[in-house]
Amino acid sequence: MKEKKIQYVKNGKRLDGRKVDELRPIKIEAGVLSRAQGSAYVEWGQNKALAAVFGPHEALPQHIQNPKKALVNFVYRMAAFSVPDRKNPRPGRRDIEISKVCSEALEKAILVEKFPNTMIDVFVQILDSNAGTRITGLAAASVALADAGIPMKDMVSGVAVGKAGGEILTDLTKDEEDAPDAVDMPIAILPNTEEIVLLQMDGLLTTDEWKKAKELGIQGCKKVYELQKEALLKKYKNSETKQKKQKPKTKTKSKAVKK
Amino acid sequence: MDKKLVVPGETVSEERKRTGDNVIIRDGKIVSTALGLVFENDTTAGVIALEGVYIPKRGDIILGIIESEVFGGYIVDVNHSLKSFIPKKSMIKTLRKGNVISAKISEVNEVKEISVENVRVFYGGELIEAQPVKIPRMIGKNGSMLSVLKEGTGCSLMIGRNGWVWAKDGDINLLKKAIKKIEKEAHLNDLTNLIKKFLEKNKTKKVSK
Repeated sequence: MKEKKIQYVKNGKRLDGRKVDELRPIKIEAGVLSRAQGSAYVEWGQNKALAAVFGPHEALPQHIQNPKKALVNFVYRMAAFSVPDRKNPRPGRRDIEISKVCSEALEKAILVEKFPNTMIDVFVQILDSNAGTRITGLAAASVALADAGIPMKDMVSGVAVGKAGGEILTDLTKDEEDAPDAVDMPIAILPNTEEIVLLQMDGLLTTDEWKKAKELGIQGCKKVYELQKEALLKKYKNSETKQKKQKPKTKTKSKAVKK
Repeated sequence: MDKKLVVPGETVSEERKRTGDNVIIRDGKIVSTALGLVFENDTTAGVIALEGVYIPKRGDIILGIIESEVFGGYIVDVNHSLKSFIPKKSMIKTLRKGNVISAKISEVNEVKEISVENVRVFYGGELIEAQPVKIPRMIGKNGSMLSVLKEGTGCSLMIGRNGWVWAKDGDINLLKKAIKKIEKEAHLNDLTNLIKKFLEKNKTKKVSK
């Protein structure tokens, strides 16, 4: 039986109507969990991630402590209902790998040397998924860390770029990731210095394609950074506008008394 | 709002200045390491953090709870990632598990372990948790906010730099509400007057009931 060839980009538009360098709609909210020191919720297309930060606290057992820096314990877990078929909630090879790479990415941004012998816990739970969950989780974790007030030299912003149907695309969906020639390349950077802190690649790209993918990736990361920044500032700007709104009210009252 | 809000990694100043709190130098620019408000004058540039954990400094007055007694002294929880230790020989009184103490930090070593001196014990009252970065706002300029809180609630207060507040007598529930309000609105201007009004309003409500 012949497989029907899918055209992933038609007249400059993708299957879901996006341009090649366009991101899915992203919604970020900071400080959503009252019990955690810092938290964030990210909706990235169909992906939904919840991140919570605790610590720094004493690293135990004592033999894991590092007297020069804090350890970043990034725990990535997918909920059983986050995929079409039920996922075994037991952490698998993939969960452990993602936890490791994301922890290393965050370690580059956090000023770990300020907290010797301690550990910073970052828990990320994926509630719904459609390709690019590690980047969604990392974006949520970065906002949660800033919300917790952990000293950082920069935020961490990421995006997954790749290839589908011979075209280099930003922010692939599951359908695009399942293309026969698909390449998936999650990339995360420190946006102000453009230092790459996470880069993985699944598939093959030519040198030119890789260069284009990297460029698109950095552009995408910067867009994500702006949204992360906006989410953090929004938390404080709301109460600021409230105060501004309250001021004229008192003025009108005093006028009424004068009359 | 006069002051600029920044996130970690954002540039605070491009001029060459002395660095204040929560900033680092990157490529000759002063860059924020925390989510907070820019504080800049002719000589210094820094960031007043709006969120954060307690980082101990020598000379800070802190509050603690005795967690356990060991052979040579007491292990004290001081709202820091590492516990502190008070040697028994430095104490005249005997302490018990659960006692609230205040102390001055005499030394912070290279792995951020702290040593304390001038230990005082507090009996009775309640210990309220607040955000360590909001403590300067709770004290105010020359203790203005502290006196407003004391007068408004009628409590005896002791504020520790590590984010713990000890209170006895007076209206402690109202104090807790006021502390929550200060934490929530720490970045706003004219906060002392806002809190003064808030305390007066809530106090009169109670009387009228």
